[in-house]
Order: sequence, then C-alpha cells, then structure tokens
Amino acid sequence: MKKYFRSGEIFIWFTGMGLGLSLIMISGLLLLIVLNGKDYFWASDLVQITKTDGTKLLGEIVKEEPIPNLNLPDTLRNKGLMRMQMKIGNRDLYGFDFQWIDERDIEQKDIPEFASTIERMEFGNFYGYIKEILVDGSVKVSGERNTAEKINSYLKITSSIRDEITEIEKSKIGRINYDIENLRLQIKKIRFKGKNSENDLAEISKLESEIVEQNKKYEILKTKVDSLNQLASSYSVYCEDVSGRSKTIPMINIVRAYQPNNMTFLDKLGFSLTKIHEFIFDDPRESNTEGGVFPAIFGTVMMVLLMSIFTVPFGVLAALYLREYAKQGPLVRTVRIAVNNLAGVPSIVFGVFGLGFFIYFIGGTIDQLFFPERLPSPTWGTGGILWASLTLALLTMPVVIVATEEALTQIPRGMREAALALGATKWQVVRRIILPAAAPGILTGLILAMARAAGEVAPLMITGVVKLAPSLPFDSYFPFFHLDRKFMHLGFHIYDVGFQSPNIEAAMPMVYTTTLLLILIVILLNITAMIIRANLRKKYKSATF
Amino acid sequence: MLFDKIAKGVIYFGGIATIISVVAILVFVFWEALPLWFGAEGKEKDKVEVKQILQSRKPLLIGVDEYQEILYVVTDSATIDFINLSTKQLVQSSYIDSTSEGAITSASKSPTKNLIALGTENGKVLFGQVKFSVSFVEENKREVKPEFTLLSSILIDSLKKPLRNLVFRKNSGEDFTIIALTSDNRLIQFSSEKTFSLLSESEEKIYKNDLSKLVEYPISTIELDNFCEKLMVGTVNGWLYYISLKDKGNPQLIQKINPTPSGRSAITALGFIIGDQSVIVGDSDGNVTSWMRVIDEKSDYGWKLVNPHKFESHNAKVTSVASSLRNKSFITGDSEGKIFLEHLTSERTLIELSGKELPVKDIAFSPKGDGAVVLYEDGTIVSFEIKNPHPEITLKTLFGKVWYEGYSKPEFVWQSTGGTDDFEPKFSLIPLIIGTLKGTFYAMLFAVPLALFGALYTSQFSHPKIRNYIKPTVEVMAALPSVVIGFLAGLWLAPLLERILPGVFLMFITVPITITIGASLWKRIPSRIRYKLKPGFELFFIIPLIIFGYYLAQWLGPLFEYYLLGGDYRTWLMNTLNEQYDQRNSIVVGFAMGFAVIPIIFTICEDALSSVPSSLTSASLALGATKWETATRIVLPSASPGIFSAVMIGFGRAVGETMIVLMATGNTPILSFSPFNGMRTLSANIAVEIPEAPYQGTLYRVLFLAATLLFILTFIVNTVAELVRQRLRKKYAEL
Repeated sequence: MKKYFRSGEIFIWFTGMGLGLSLIMISGLLLLIVLNGKDYFWASDLVQITKTDGTKLLGEIVKEEPIPNLNLPDTLRNKGLMRMQMKIGNRDLYGFDFQWIDERDIEQKDIPEFASTIERMEFGNFYGYIKEILVDGSVKVSGERNTAEKINSYLKITSSIRDEITEIEKSKIGRINYDIENLRLQIKKIRFKGKNSENDLAEISKLESEIVEQNKKYEILKTKVDSLNQLASSYSVYCEDVSGRSKTIPMINIVRAYQPNNMTFLDKLGFSLTKIHEFIFDDPRESNTEGGVFPAIFGTVMMVLLMSIFTVPFGVLAALYLREYAKQGPLVRTVRIAVNNLAGVPSIVFGVFGLGFFIYFIGGTIDQLFFPERLPSPTWGTGGILWASLTLALLTMPVVIVATEEALTQIPRGMREAALALGATKWQVVRRIILPAAAPGILTGLILAMARAAGEVAPLMITGVVKLAPSLPFDSYFPFFHLDRKFMHLGFHIYDVGFQSPNIEAAMPMVYTTTLLLILIVILLNITAMIIRANLRKKYKSATF
Repeated sequence: MLFDKIAKGVIYFGGIATIISVVAILVFVFWEALPLWFGAEGKEKDKVEVKQILQSRKPLLIGVDEYQEILYVVTDSATIDFINLSTKQLVQSSYIDSTSEGAITSASKSPTKNLIALGTENGKVLFGQVKFSVSFVEENKREVKPEFTLLSSILIDSLKKPLRNLVFRKNSGEDFTIIALTSDNRLIQFSSEKTFSLLSESEEKIYKNDLSKLVEYPISTIELDNFCEKLMVGTVNGWLYYISLKDKGNPQLIQKINPTPSGRSAITALGFIIGDQSVIVGDSDGNVTSWMRVIDEKSDYGWKLVNPHKFESHNAKVTSVASSLRNKSFITGDSEGKIFLEHLTSERTLIELSGKELPVKDIAFSPKGDGAVVLYEDGTIVSFEIKNPHPEITLKTLFGKVWYEGYSKPEFVWQSTGGTDDFEPKFSLIPLIIGTLKGTFYAMLFAVPLALFGALYTSQFSHPKIRNYIKPTVEVMAALPSVVIGFLAGLWLAPLLERILPGVFLMFITVPITITIGASLWKRIPSRIRYKLKPGFELFFIIPLIIFGYYLAQWLGPLFEYYLLGGDYRTWLMNTLNEQYDQRNSIVVGFAMGFAVIPIIFTICEDALSSVPSSLTSASLALGATKWETATRIVLPSASPGIFSAVMIGFGRAVGETMIVLMATGNTPILSFSPFNGMRTLSANIAVEIPEAPYQGTLYRVLFLAATLLFILTFIVNTVAELVRQRLRKKYAEL
C-alpha cells in the first residue's frame, strides 16, 4: 500500500480530474449553446395535448424536467415524475405563451398533420389551424389541406406589398425626415448666431419653404403608403386555435406560416436556411426577441474595424520604438511591464475612461465649439461608435504591442545584420526586412485584438451601445459614415435580450442563437490567429543563417 | 537619409505618444476622482451696512432670493425691506399696517414658499408671503422683482402678552403650526389642520395648547420640523425636550435629554436638516451635535433620541443654524463671528466663512445652496458665495461605518441615489469591496485547484499527443467572451443549481470516490492489457469516471435532501443556518468566474511547470524517484513562483470581471459573507450606476474613485506577478 502511494498513481488520477473537469465544462458549454442555439432555426413539431380534465393545448415542447419535490404531495416524491414546458404561443388570446404541464395530467398526445405555426409581426407565434383564406372579406380557399397548400402564394403577395411599404418608409420617407432634420438644424444655427440681419432672415425663410416642400413630398408618399396598406389589409386568414377559438389575422402581419408536422427532413433543412438568412440579414422584431440581428452584426463589425484602424498603427509604432529604436535599459523594461500589465486592467476601467475623457471631455468640448445651437441635446458629447472604438482601441493596444514585440524578437539577428552590412539604413531595414518578417505576428496581434473587442461588452455599455439603434452608423446620406451614432453589438444584444427583455422565456432561443454566432466569430478569429502563429514559429525555426 | 530621419522621428514620436497616452489613462481616471477631497469654496461677495438703510428699524430675520440678488430684512417696526445686494440700495420697503396689532417682537420663516410669520407685542401673529418674480428683459439680463403680501393675522395668546420667540412651519398641504414663547415664559402651540371628507367641504380644525407644563426649565430656544410633528425645545440649563405633535390635540413629551457635554450649558441654537430627521443642536460653549430619533422598544412612545454626529466646536456661543435646501449641509454661526459650513453625514467642516468678528444674529442659506447671507448683531449683512460640490465624502464615509439617518446603528451602506432631494446618499465602498473579494474568493476556490491540477497533469503526466490538443482547447476557453459565460451562469446555471444543489455538493465526495475506485480497478487489470495503453492516456478513463460520479451524485442528491435535510434544502438552510438562498448567488458566480479564469491560470501554470529544466527532472528520475515524487518534490517547488504569478494574474482578472457578476448575481450591495447570497462588486457597480451619474457630480467621482482602486489593485497584482515570472525565467535560463 505504501508503495502504491509512493508511486502516486492515484494522485496522478486526481490531477487528471482537474483537467478532465475543465475539458468537460468547456465542451459541455459549447454543446449546450449549439444544442439550444439550433432550436431557433429548426421547425419543431407541434404537439397537441389533451389533458385529463379535457383541456387541449397545442404548441412546441421546450423542455422536460423532474418535478421539484416541493410541488408534490409527500406520497409522490422521489418517483421521478416529469413535467414539461410548452410554448403555446397565441399571446393575444391567452396573455402568456408558455405553460408547464405535469406528465400525470396528460391523457393523450397527438401530432396533428395540419397544425400550423404562424410567425407574426406582433404577439409572437400563433399555433392553430388555418381554416379559410379571405380576400376582401370573401372566402377564397377553405379547408385545412387547401389552405396549407395555398397560403404561401398569398403570403408572397402580401410580403411583396410589405417590402414595398418598408422600402418607401425606410429610404424615401427616411430621406425626407433626414433632410427636414438637417434644414431645421440649419435654421437653428442661423438663429443661434443671432445677428437677425436681412440676409439671415431671407435664408431662414428660404429654408422654411424648403421644409414645406419636403413636407408636401412626404404627404404624397404617405398617401401611397396608406393605399398600399389598404390593399394589403384586404388579405386575411381565418384561424382557430386548438380549442376552437377563432382569430382572424391580417396577412400583412404574417411573416411566414408553415405546418411543421407535415414537413419532411429536407423541408425542415430548407426552412432552417431561410431562418438563418433571416437571422443574419434582417432587422430585429418584437423588442429584439424575434427576427434577425443584422444591425448588431453590422455594428460589431464596424466597431471592430474602426478600432483596428486606431490600434494597429499606434500599437506597431509603440512596439517598433520599444524593440528597435529605444535604448534597452531599466526604463524601457519598466515601460514594457507597464504595457503588458495594462492587458490585465479591468475593461470597465477603460470604459470609465472612455466615458469621462472621450465622451464628456472631448465630445463635450466639440459640442460647445461646433454645435452650440444643438445644446443641451448633445451631438458628440454622448456615446457613439467612434468613442466606443477608441475606448476599445486603448483596451486592445497592449495585445497588439505585445504580439508585435514578440514577432520582432523572433526575427533572427542575422537578417538584420546582413541587411545593415549591405549598407541599408535603419529605416530601410525596418521597412524592407523587419516589418515584412513581423507581419504575420502583427496580424496575429490584430486578430486577437479583434476577437477581444468583439466579445467585450462592459466598456461598450457605457460608451455608446444601445439595445435598438434607429439607424446604422453607415448609410447613403452624406457623409456616409456617421461616427457619432449609437450602435448595436452582438455581446450587448445577449445581455440585453437575456436580462432586460420583458418576456425572457420567449427570448431564450434568440439569446442562445446570438451567443452561438458570437462564439463562432470569436473562436474562428482565435483559431486563425493560432494557425498563423504556429506557421510563423515554424518559419523561423528553419530560417537560420 | 532624410527619409530615415523622418521615419525615426515618426516612430519615436508615435511610440512614445502611444505609451504615454496609454499610461495617461490612470492619470485621467485618478484626476476625475481627485476633486472629491477638495473642500468647499466660499468667499465674501457683498457687504451691506443695513443700519444706514434701515435707520432705527432693527432687523429680526433675513432671507434671499434664489439668484442671491435681492435680500429681504424683517424688522421690528413691521416692515419688510428689500435690498439689492450688488447696488446696496433699498429696492422696496413694505410696511405692514400693524397699528392695530402692535410692534413686532419676533419673526419666523417657513423654509417652503418663503412664508413669514411675525409675532406682535400683544400676542398676535401676522402671516405674509415673500415672492420673487423673475423676468428676462433681454436674452441674458434678468430682473428679480420682490413682492410682499400680508395674508392674515391670528390671535395666538389669549392673554395678549408679547411673543418673545416664534416658530412657524407649514407642511406641504394647508396645515400649519405655530409655536410661540411669550414674555412670561409660556409655550403656546397653535395648529390648524384641514380635513377633507368626501361629502362636505374641507373643514378647518384649530388646536390650541399650552405646552408650558411639559417643560420644567426656562426656555432658550425652540424648533419645529416641516411636518409640524417634532418639536424641540432647548432650555437655559442644557435640557432638550422632544415633544411629539403628531396628535395636534394631545402633545406628548417623548424624551428629555441632556445633549451638551457639560450638561449645564444653555442650548442656544436648534435647526432641522433637510428631510427633518436630524436636528442640529448648538450650545453656549460652542459645541455642535446632531440628534435624531431611532426606534426604541423600551420607550413608551417607541422612539429615542441618539447622537450620531459631532461637529467642530465653535468655542463660543452658537447663535444660529441654517440648513441647505439641497443637501445635508448646514451653516452655524457663533457670538464671535465664526461661521462654519458643515455637512451632516461626513461631519466635515467644509469651510470657515470669514466675515466680521461680530456676534451672528441670523443666517439664511440661499435656496439653491450656492450662497448664504449672514446678519450680524450690529446690523451688517454679508453675503457669501459657496461652491460645495462634494460635501458628503471623507475617507470615513467611504471606508468607515457611518450612522445614517433612519438607521439604528452605524453601518456600511452603499445607496447612492434616492428619489428626493432630502435623501442622504450613502457612499460606503466597503460592501462593494467585500462583494468583490467574496466573488473573487469563490472563483479562486473553484479555479485554482482545477487549473493547477490540470496544468500539473498536462505538463508532467499526460502524453504529448494529448497535450497538443489540450492547449488549443484551453486557449479557446480563454477566448470565450465573458458575456457568454455570464449569460449562461445567470439564465441556465443559476436555476439549474437551485434545483440540484445538494447533488452538486455530493459531487465533491462521489467524484473522488469513483476516481479512486477507477484507479484501483485499473491496477487490477492484467498488465498485458494495461500496458497496451501508454501512460499518459488516463484522461480517457477519468472523463467517463467524472461523468459517472456526477450522475451518481445527482441520483443521491434528492435522496440525501429528502432523508437528511427534511425534504427541501432551502428550508433546511433557513431553519438551521439562518441563511436565505438567493438564486443568483456566490456559488454561481464562483463557478462562472472560476470558469473564466481557469484558462489564464492554467496556461501560465503549465508554462512554468513545463519549462522547469529537464536536467532537474531527469536527475530526480535517475535517482529512483517516481514520476509523482519528481512532480511534487522537484517540479512543483521550483515552479512555485510561476504558479504564484499565475494565481495572482487570475486574481487580477477575477477582481475586475464585470459582465459575469452583472448577470450572475442579484447585484444587491449587501454586506454578507454567505455563499448563498449575491453581492455587488466594484466593477458591476460602475457599470450599473455610471450611465445615470450626473457629469462631475459626487456619484460620478466616487465611481471614478472605484475605478482607480480597481486599476491600482490589478496593476499592482499584475506587476508583482510579472516580476516574479521574469525572475523565474532568468533563474531557469541560468540553470
């Protein structure tokens, strides 16, 4: 026995336990996210449940778990009784869209063929049966089988009308609103300067007449939108829920309708593709719990790119200075340690700095100097994508500096000396030899910085991220990039939808899916960095003179 | 060559500028917090010799408008004189036709609405209101127009004696109370209450009481709160009487105390602080203390007065107290002309206002709290400009126990904002610091053993083939955004843990058992089969064993809970340990934050362990030590500095982690060490509160101070870790 302990076999197994647990946790976490995240894209079957008391329910089964002992009478405890959570939708009819059902209350479970899921613009999903399709109040199609076949062709009509309406509202009316707002600001500016000269007054009246002009244009478009709405509202479907309550849904409010129980595996795959497309390219609906996350993806990407523009040149300059130009001594060593350690400073501290320095100090000063007429409503003195990017640039600067320095130290001395011996100046050596050789290292640093920035939330929360940005920071209006605008971000989207949303149960699939997307982005970036770094090491191993 | 020089210049400039700007972050964050320590600024603005303006009229009481332009003086000759402070000219003098009422002997002003009550020599009280109407003549030129209207007069004293002293308060509705002290030392209460009923019109009820019987000694000063409920009476021999007027028809003496240190000095000044919870008491020796009531079960009325704060002594008779209408600041003046601006919570003397060395008769705080006017006994009036941005902050309010209003004892509390102006902000950083350390502690408790064991196994015992896969996996784990971990901890782990907590605790027993059994079974397998698998592949058996241990614990958990904890562990916790179980608690945070720091600790540990020179390990193995002995006696000790720095860096990361704590705890800033409660950390507190903090206000600066603390703490921890690591690297290089 003593010998057994001396050999430490058992302890080795225990240390292995530490590693095993870590590995189980990481893979469990990824698995959990993938499993939950995919639900959002998958057309789940609709289950019809008849309870022992005769009530019927129709919906998707979300999860099953054992009933907590507290909820059971003594005799039934520890018997492994299960309960399940069902998404029954129809929030407008029932007032809630999730329900727990005890297994022992279920009398019968069916999978009805023509049960339909109707995704709507508001009130969440409708689960039930489509009985009739109505146009102008008259029944065009009736019968569950027929409606199921025809509904999509009708939905195509209404969705094209809807697209037309959004097109008008977003681009044309949006343009007019933008112009009117600009004209108003111009008037305000002239008034603010307060000279009240003849010229000014003439200018103001000219601008005002332009506003009137724009308003006229707006009225014309408005009537067009109204008539389109009128047209669309003539299409509707008459549905019944599982217990026979009737509901007429205007088709303009229907995003899509399908019969999941009637779909083959291939159908469902196809359906998933359209859902993925929607998720990536559409705007969010229903206070971010449905629809897509396009603005958040766009905001994240733009913020990360902006950040890279600031962080890479300066980070590389600092690293070049520290490695190539500065005299190596205690001072440089201290600076290097300080820079290294900045990477460990909590991100919220950077956020606080961004808020105090960029937003209130610099932004506030800009507002006072250039936009005094708009005060007290701030233009630059409030969170925006520029300030958020700058804050993150500072946050990720140490990552770039450290990675670049590492790459610079790995360049063999021989390469430098050979170049210098051939008569190259220091700058030529840096420009022609060192930078190209260090490029993959710099790239690694950049990618790691991007990954860090994409996943960071705390500093962004206080420097310009919002739950729903009215417009993207890049659009077709001059000067195209609107760096003072607030933006949406995938990481913040997770926090906001998961923790601030009024209907958290309904939001969960969206949160998991967004998490999946964010993790994919971050992990892909990291793996790319790892591969580049590995190749770099290999290259230098062979590059001996 | 020129190009070379330019490039050199750019690199020098850019490099140094970048480094400086990065380091400047600390300076800026620190800089924003610095003004917290500055005192108030106060300087004399205008001085008016009222004697010349008022001639024979003697001033009784003064007040000022919110822009500090127009001063009003109530005189004994029944006039209200309005004086422009900058031009020092009499703007207007309203004469109250009081021939029928007699001369004015005392005056009082209600802090709300500038209502004034004047006591006459024949026992009557006159009511009036001062109004300032502000109009803008041009864009930036304002004109303040004063106006005085006499509202009514009431006979208070049926004996028609002169009213020597008077307090008049009107609450937010229509009710008011007058307390008057007559020349023959009777204390009279006169209250009017309007009651509304559904059917009839409002009905006014008058209560008149003689309170003299409640107070045994000669009265020196009286004060009433704005709710007209708490009456404070000070006597010439140092007693303070607390009389409740809650029931206007039946005043009750609640308590009689001796608030002065000597016990005999006369109480000369009383004043309620905004919110009417604390009363400032000044005596003839110059002592200034604050008193407030707390619940006392022993007392008949349920209340007793306590003394939470003491202030700097005047060393001369305190003659006047004036409270700010904006915060808990107040001004006291004495008979030698010393005037202190003080703050209740912080007990700080913010500034001494130096005017004249004359007895102070009356002080009025300007409505915006940015100035004060002082009336001296000789009739001089001096107005002061006050800048008092952060009166509530001292080292003690940030880090010490403070006795806040409404609390029964001094406590550490963080509660930065309330709904109203009279809220007392509570800026104790201690609950947040404790919360931070608590979260970090549980995270480290979870992460350090796992990461250390994992690193030891990976570097010493695992097969190189496995090692090549483990390191990238852990790097992926390190790259996971904390928002993801926080979200899973808050929405998935917390509810799950609440359901299976006993099972999770059982895992600490079952998993080691299954592993022990697994390891000994492994020994018993015929060596022919056993040696097919190379050493270092144990991991493939360990992982299923852990999973088996987990399921075993989950199966045992409910049974354990049912038979030993009486069916529900939460009730058991409540009954036997008196612990409330919060769903989002420290265990959840420990798991989640531990998960976030495991990769950091693991990577650095593994680096340190695997870079122990192989000459050491080979020597040990050659001398006959087993692998385990080599690992624990040679590798671990020589790599211990590296492990130390790994733990330090992990600690630094956990201290500053924001999103996980924000999402996985309840974010309540309570002071509790229980693992079953939540907490709020410094970083989460910043994230939660800074969006709402007014720019450069006290909260804003306190949050910057919290950020500075975080910065310094993590910076020191990281630097120490880095230095240790560099020394270690050097040592290895020498070997």
